[in-house]
Amino acid sequence: MRHCKQIVDLVSQGMESKLPWSIRMEVKMHLLMCKNCYRYAKQLKFMQSELKTIENNIADTALTETAKKRIQQSLKLAIHETSND
Amino acid sequence: MTQQSPETWLNDHGDLLYRYALLRVRSETTAEDLVQETLLAGFLSWDKFTEKSSVSTWLVGILKHKIVDHFRKHRHEVKQVQADELADDILAYQFDSEGHWQVDLVEWDTPDTQMDQKQFSKVFKLCISRLPQRMADLLFLRAIENVPMAECCDLLGFESDNQLWVTLSRTRVKLRQCLNTHWFEQG
Ligand SMILES: [Zn+2]
Repeated sequence: MRHCKQIVDLVSQGMESKLPWSIRMEVKMHLLMCKNCYRYAKQLKFMQSELKTIENNIADTALTETAKKRIQQSLKLAIHETSND
Repeated sequence: MTQQSPETWLNDHGDLLYRYALLRVRSETTAEDLVQETLLAGFLSWDKFTEKSSVSTWLVGILKHKIVDHFRKHRHEVKQVQADELADDILAYQFDSEGHWQVDLVEWDTPDTQMDQKQFSKVFKLCISRLPQRMADLLFLRAIENVPMAECCDLLGFESDNQLWVTLSRTRVKLRQCLNTHWFEQG
């Protein structure tokens, strides 16, 4: 039987890849019996979904006006060059 | 189809692209450059845009490729940061010698109002920024962008799939701990 520390690794790996059936069953059984690992797995899922959309929720980070101007100018130049080809 | 120009995109989607890039590359100038490259690439391949997706989704898709390219170009810089990953390895794991949790985990009350969500995302961002560089890179490239295993190992300098899995797991343990301490235990 695997202990919590190993289950934690398998839960993480199982989020990105398909584990063999027997291991998946063992993880499932462990999560049914172990409150800490069950909570851990739930929290990882929550973290994963938050991570996928975090750029929508941190509006305080934005391009500075200087950066915007610089990008705008570079774009103009690059587009001008390509249309001249 | 409406007339599109990179300059309008910059105003409409520039900040979103910038945030997306900055979270992943951690350098303001690099993130700005990536935004610029993305807008230009979008302009040059505008004929490939289909209205099945929104312009912003389409631009983020281009940015993803640019970010992976960026990691390809800077592969050699990876090796040096591996030391700080190992240094607090023990801290990252809260298990006793038999592999059981030392402290019981508490249930998380997930953010349920918009204000809560904003505050939470701030803390989340802070926790991500505290991760050793390679761990953060791994989290984004593998767990969010789904870059294939072999390429992830190659880009980030992992010697085996197993080493990558273990590091990804530790990254999540660390991130969970940081969130737990700075958000969920604060009440
Ligand atoms: Zn357990």
